[in-house]
This record gives sequence, C-alpha cells and structure tokens, in this order.
Amino acid sequence: MLSVSGRRSFRDFDWFLALIAIMIVLFGTWQIHNAQPDESYWEKQLVGLGIAFVFMLVVSFMDYRKLIDFAPAFYVFGLVLLIVVLIPGIGMKINGQRCWIKLPGLGQFQPSEFVKIPTVLMLARFFGPPRTGPLSWREMLIGCGILGLPIALILLEPDAGQAITYFPLLAVVLFLSAVRMRLVVAACILSIFLIPAAYMVGVKTGKIKNYQQERINVILDPENADKRGYGYHTWQSIVTVGKGGLLGTRASNEFSQSKLKFLPEPHTDFIFAVTAESTGFVGCILLLLAYAILLSRLITGARRAPDRTGMLVIMAIVGGLAFQLFINIGMALGMLPVIGVPLPLMSAGLSSVLATFIAIGFAISIQLRRFVN
Amino acid sequence: MKFEDDSQNLRARLRILQILIVLLISVLAVRLYVLQMMKGAYYAERAENQRIRLLPIPAPRGVIFDRNGKILVDSRPIYNVILSREDVKNLDLNQFVEPFSQGLDIDPDYLRERFDQIKTQPAFESIRIKENATSADQSWVEAHQLEYPQLRVEAQPQRRYPENGTLCHVLGYVGEISPEQLEQPKYKDKGYKPGDIIGREGVEAVYDQYLRGRDGYRKVVVDSRGHIQDIIEEVAPQPGQDMVTTIDLDLQLVAEEQLRNAPQKRGAIVVMDPNNGEVLAMASAPTFDPNLFSQRITSREGRAEYNALLKDPKTPLINRTIQGLYPPGSTWKIPMSVAGLQQGAITLKNSNLLCGGGIMVGNKFTRCMGNHGTPDIVSAITHSCDGYFYRLGLKMGVDGIMQMVDEFDLNKRTGVDLPHENVSQTPNLFKPMMEKRGQPWKDIDTVYASFGQVYDFATPIAMLRAVAGVGVGGKLYIPHLLKEFKAVGEPGTPDYRAAINFKPLNSDRPNPKDIEMPEDFHHTVVQGMWGVVNNGGTAARIKMADFEIAGKTGTAQVVGLGKDVGENKDHSWFVSYAPAWKPEISAIALIENSGFGSQFGAPAVRAVYDEYYRKTRGGEPPGTQIAQANKKTLPQRSASAAQAADKRQGE
Repeated sequence: MLSVSGRRSFRDFDWFLALIAIMIVLFGTWQIHNAQPDESYWEKQLVGLGIAFVFMLVVSFMDYRKLIDFAPAFYVFGLVLLIVVLIPGIGMKINGQRCWIKLPGLGQFQPSEFVKIPTVLMLARFFGPPRTGPLSWREMLIGCGILGLPIALILLEPDAGQAITYFPLLAVVLFLSAVRMRLVVAACILSIFLIPAAYMVGVKTGKIKNYQQERINVILDPENADKRGYGYHTWQSIVTVGKGGLLGTRASNEFSQSKLKFLPEPHTDFIFAVTAESTGFVGCILLLLAYAILLSRLITGARRAPDRTGMLVIMAIVGGLAFQLFINIGMALGMLPVIGVPLPLMSAGLSSVLATFIAIGFAISIQLRRFVN
Repeated sequence: MKFEDDSQNLRARLRILQILIVLLISVLAVRLYVLQMMKGAYYAERAENQRIRLLPIPAPRGVIFDRNGKILVDSRPIYNVILSREDVKNLDLNQFVEPFSQGLDIDPDYLRERFDQIKTQPAFESIRIKENATSADQSWVEAHQLEYPQLRVEAQPQRRYPENGTLCHVLGYVGEISPEQLEQPKYKDKGYKPGDIIGREGVEAVYDQYLRGRDGYRKVVVDSRGHIQDIIEEVAPQPGQDMVTTIDLDLQLVAEEQLRNAPQKRGAIVVMDPNNGEVLAMASAPTFDPNLFSQRITSREGRAEYNALLKDPKTPLINRTIQGLYPPGSTWKIPMSVAGLQQGAITLKNSNLLCGGGIMVGNKFTRCMGNHGTPDIVSAITHSCDGYFYRLGLKMGVDGIMQMVDEFDLNKRTGVDLPHENVSQTPNLFKPMMEKRGQPWKDIDTVYASFGQVYDFATPIAMLRAVAGVGVGGKLYIPHLLKEFKAVGEPGTPDYRAAINFKPLNSDRPNPKDIEMPEDFHHTVVQGMWGVVNNGGTAARIKMADFEIAGKTGTAQVVGLGKDVGENKDHSWFVSYAPAWKPEISAIALIENSGFGSQFGAPAVRAVYDEYYRKTRGGEPPGTQIAQANKKTLPQRSASAAQAADKRQGE
C-alpha cells in the first residue's frame, strides 16, 4: 500500500514544474557567470540549486495539511528569526542593512526571504476554511496583522525592498477570499489618483527628498536625468539592456557593462540587465516565457488544489513571485525606481533560491494530494 | 475546482489574476522590444562611448637646426595631466577648480578658463589641465585616483628652446591652438582640433604644417572608473619634418651679444647672404624666453611672467628686425643715390651738388652736420652729406622719392618667412594721407623725406634687403630663414613627406626682384659705401684690412635736437655688406637710443664680420683693435680726431 502510494506520488509529482524552475536557475547561473566571471557566485549558485532541490523534494512529499497545522509555530519561529537578525553580532550589517544571519561554515542567510513561507501558511490557515459570504472588516484586520508583524520587523532592518514583496501575499489572499469587488475597484482607482497626487504633494512639501525625486525623474526622462548621480543605476541598466539588441553579445563578455563595472550589482539585482546584454531580445523573451509557463503551471495547480487552503498557498506564492518578477524586471528596464528586490530563480543568492524552491515544493505537495481526500 | 466554493466567483477571480500576470509580462516584453529592438543601436553606441576612449599620442615636432647642423630646438618627453572629456561629460567642472588648483598648483583662473573652453568646444577629446607635471603632480594624480578617476597623466614631447632667449624671435614658440584660430579656415580645413599644439610665433608658426607630425592614438577600453582595461588599436605618431634654417648660430650669438652690450640693451641686427636672401643671423633685443610658452605658461608664475612681458615698455616680445619701424636716417641715402642716378637727377659725369651746410626752404633752415662744399655722389655717401641729399631729393621731387620707394620695395613687406612683418612707412603712405586731409605736400616735406626722417620709417630687414640688393648689383632677394625641410618616411609610402626648400610664401613675388642698375651706377654707389669704412668716411673706425666693408651709417632722430640725451638718444644705424666688390655677407644693425651710427651700429656689425672672418678665412681678423686700426690705417689722424670727425660729418 505504501509502495503503491509512493509510486503514485512519484508519478503525479509535477516534474515539469520542477524542471522549468531548475532550468531557469541554470540559465540564471550562466548569467551570473557572465556578470562576474572572476567570482565564484555562479558556483555557489549551483550548490544552492542542489540544496534547494533537496528541500523542494522533502517539502513536496510532506503533507502540506500537517504543515498548515503547524503554521502558527512556523510563523512565530519566523518572527523570532526576524528579531534575532536585528541583534548586532548575530545579524550582519551590509550596506547599512542588518538582514543577514551568519551561519558558521554555511555562509549566511536572509530570514526575510524565508519568513514569507510561514506568513503565507499563516494567512492560508486563517482564510482557508470554506466560507460563504464576503470578508468582514475584522477578518481583514487580522489578515493585516499577520502580514504587518514581519513587515514591521523587516522595516527595522531596514529592507524596504523585501518588505514590499510581502504585500502581494495578503492582496492575493484577500482577493481570493471574496473581498468585495467594489472595494478592489475602489482601491485601484484611488491608487491611480492618490499615488501621483501624493508624489506631487511630497515634492512640494519637501517630504520627498531630492535623490528620491531623481530616481523618479530618471524613469520619466532618462536622457535628461542625472545619469551620474541617483539616476546612474537606472540609466546604466537601460543602456545595458538596449545594447543587447536582438541576439545579445553572448560569449564576448570581455567588455560587457558588468565587467567594466558600469552596471552595478550585476549578479543580483540587475541580473536581468546582464541577461539582456548577453542573450538579447530572444533570450529575454524566452526567459519571460519560462516565467509565464511556471506561473501558469502554478495557477493550474491552484485550480486543482484539494481545498481552499492549498489554493490560497499556491496563489499567494504565485502573487509573490509575479510581483517580484515585475518589480525587478521593471526596474532593470527603467520603468520602476531602483528597489533592491532579487529576481526569483535568477539572482545569485542561496536564500532566494532556497525560499523559492521551498515555495514551489509546497505547490507540488498540494497538487500531489489532489486525489487524496 | 476540487472544493465547493463557487459562491465568490473564485473561478473568475483566478482568471483575473492570471490575466493580470499575463498583462504585466506583456508590458515587460513591449518595453524590452522598445529598448532592444527599436533603440538597441542607440544604446549600443552609448555603451561604446562610455567605454571607448581615444587617447592621443602626440607626434614629436621636427627638430630645428642651424645651417651647420647645430640643434636649435628639439623636444623632450614631459608629462601632462589631462582630463578625458567623456569622463567629465555632464559633470559640474567648477567642483574641480579648487582641489585641482591646490593639488596640482594650477592657477584657478586658468582652470576656469579651460573649463569654459570645453563647454564651447565640443570636439575636445581630452583637456590638458597641467603641462610639465612634476613627479609630485604625478603622484598626486596617482594618490587621488579614487576621488578623481577622470585625471590621467599623458606623455608628450615638449619643445625645448635655447637658453637666454637666443633666437627667440626667429624660432617663436608653440602653444595650444586658440578657439579663435580654430574658427579660421586655414586651421579648420586642415583638421586641427582643440587642444592641438601649434606653432604660435616665428618659424614655428610659419612652418607649422611641416614641423608638426601626425598624432597617433591609442583606442582603449576603460571601465566605469576610467581605468584602462585594454588597448584595441594603436597608431604610432609620425614625427614632423626636421627644419634646417639658414641661421648660423655662431654669427647669431655674436649679434645677440652685441645687442646685450648696447647702451640701452635694445636694438636689432640682421645678417643676410645678399646673393640669395638666406638670413644668417637675426637678433632683436630685449629677448624673452620661449620656454615660458612651451613649459611654464600654465603655472601661476608663468602667467605672471607672461603678463609682465606684455606690459614691459621695452616690448621684448616684438621682433624689432621685422616689426620695428625706425626712421632710417642716412641709410636712406643708398637707395636715394641709386634712384637719383636712375632717374637722371644726377649723372655719373656730373653728380656734384652743393652742401651749403644745410638748406633754406621757405623760412626754415634744415642744416647739414658738416660743411662738405660741393661733393660728388661718392663723397656725399662717404661723408654722409645731408645738404647734398636735400638737394638731390628736391631734384627728384617727391614723385621720384616715391618711385624709389616702390622700386626698392620699401612700401611692401620683404616677404621674410616670419609672421607679423610690418610694412615700412614712407611718403607713399603719408602723402596721400596728408592730401586727403587737405594738407598739401610741400618742398620742406620732400627735404625731410630725402634724408630718412619724419616721413620715412623702415624696418631693419627692409633696409637691409634694399641695400644688400644694391651691393649685388640690383638683385633684391627675399630674406628667408628656411634652408630645407628634410624628408620623412619611406619614399613611395603614403606617409612620405618630401624634402622642401624655401619658396616665397607669396608666390606672386619675384625672387629676386631685379632693379635696373647699370654696372657703372653700381660701381659708383659701392665706391661711396666703400669709402664710408675704407676711405675716412663715417665708419672708418671699423675698417678691416683685407676684408673690405661697404657700409652706411645712419642716425634716427628720436626727439628734437637738444633733448637727445640718455634714453632719448638717437638710434644708431649701420647697414653694410662685404667684401665691398664681391659681397658674401650683408649686415644691418640698429642700436636703439645710443647715438650716432658710427659709434654703436658700425662696431656691432664689425663684430659680426669678425666672426664671419674667423669662420671663412681662418685666423684672427685684421685690425680687431679698433683704436690701433685707426692709427695704422689713418696715420694722419689721431683716434680722437677721427672721432671728432665722425661727429662733425654727422648723419
């Protein structure tokens, strides 16, 4: 019986999903090598992929429902990690942000990447039970509370970029938990008007500082922005992307933007610009397609989920991934201001790859149990 | 859907999310298309621009030699501090003024000027902010690489001119091309670009196109900090053509020494081969140090030095030989004599005119310095009889004088291959000017014009050319400094530049200009000039026994009679050639504010002839000691009597 269930599990395992994720990471590793050929980031990324794959397998063969039961414990553990990282001596300060915990012998990891998972589980657990009517204000407030705690701790690091990536988790969960449509529409319309208005007011009152304005200006008009000051990252990223053309420079990385240090953070935040330079339009479109397939596959999985909780877990993961994808690539293409958000599966960094693979592991686990009741 | 939850349109909401994701990804794809497909070439160029630099490798200029192969000017490698334009694009350059001027000891005003130029001169590839950087400057740049990665140190050949201002007016100097020059078609069309070093004065300027080489360059890849990562292409510079001048450095040094020892240390000496116009020496005093312009002009001290030169009342920057306009005094009598004979105002058979101790025109008496009776032309030249020439002038009339001026090119530039030559000023200029003002030309004016005062102002080189031309029987050669440009490169290759000899810069000018001068005219005038030195004339004191000088003294009146003392003394002229009957060499000296021509001009020229004698005849020149020479050659007169005679005979 066990062997039968094992065989079935093995057969139903979403190999395609895992394969796409792995291929994106391998493609990303190549780009990391292009970005920093003299550094060992790409080797570390391969090691990270191996570790992440093992974790994904482990998670996907566990029963997600049991894990959901333990969600509060995970959640609390996550919050503890976020507090621990703030303690000087344990948390490592890099570029003024204390968001890394040093693990002797293993390197470092970034709790804010992982805490997304217990947060998703916690949200799914709370909003998971079958429901009949629209969401009440109280429920929404509790949802905000679940999300607010980790965000508050992350902002203390401070890591606004990571904090932002938490919002879509709640947004997707609320949306799929029957928040009233008119609320959604109202929020959309309000933001369309309020965000520019707030920006204008901020500029007028001096609340938005010069450098922050510059980061916006370079998006609105990169040619005339301060290309050497606060607009530098965006401008160089645009140039790097544009330079790629149709097919990219491929092998001749000798004088690439990243090699000549024009492009900052090429192996992490601006990995997409590197991809664009070396593989051109063709490579970028293929990558976007791979992401689209990955996300569609996940959404399909969500549709087939055995229960609301599972569906919410997958869709929150989808929302988080899609949001990060758009923020990061939008930044690389000069459409959004520079925010330190890694590109899932592409950017160098064990924490990000591991967290993403664990999330995908959950999704696979949920699908695996679609016939079990 | 595996679970019953259709009440909240879950299916539709999932669809909305999916569509939203597809939309966002499409937006990214469209943006990618715009950046990479539509504007890809543009961004590729921008990326190229920010990583490619063309670093010029300045070509060494041609070496300048004297006629005997002695080096006059060469170049040595120095280091400049430069800013690469691409590195400072869009930067506020004012922020650099303070730190650079302090760190590199540059005049802040100079830096500001430089930075202003860059703004208006988009063609700057790199900006030289400090020339001749010391090792301290270089280590400062090195040490501040992180703060100012735009700074670079570049090697460049730098012009090195002789010490003590030797030949400074002839050689000129080099400097950076000015924005005004860049506008001129003669530079623009030849591909000069901002920052180029060009000849600014002297032969450096006139022959810039031959002296300058063709710059090479290195095409390099730099990183975002401006550090060179790779050299893509290197084109070696091609050196300029070496120039052999007509200058004889030994004669030049003697001439300069004579001027340095002159009473006011001001004056001009030109030595020329009358048979072809080759200038053997050209000295003008006071001098300046051309190295100031090639080496120190960017430093605070250098700029102060330059300002001092500009303001110096002694005008050291002026080349007096070609720019100084002086009343020629009695040297004017040589072309006057030739013209008098040509125009028939006097004849060989009867050339006697009254001296009369002067002349009365209207109610004005213009005196002669002596009383010479009724001399013939030879004697009038030898003893410089003013009275004779007053009358000759009146016989020729002002038209005759003007014809003479035209014939001897005294109303034109000589065409010497130097910049800024002044045209002599003569009645040909003044008479029409006066008539335009309704001021008639009177006989007294003709008298003045006939003895080289009031209406006559000549450059030393124009006077020398005219008199030397008389010496060789009426051939006026264009004085010039270029003997040869040596060939550069392999014949037959595109880089080959052939050897070049002197050609008149203005090709319309005949060279030589022939003046109709029958042998007997020539003989008569030369005899008069020979007598000046060899037959008890006004310059008898410089006589050389077996090297017969033909010459003419002259005194240019600076202020009215009676006030001519100290710094206001008359200018002393002496114009000559030798040997008198077969001239090999001609020389003119003008010693400012010193007195009579015989006193200072003639000995200065004699010193040049002494040196020439040593070089060509071997051994010491005869009668070097002037006092002794006077005793030997003029036993009938004591030295003091000879001097008194000089004064009396006057000019």
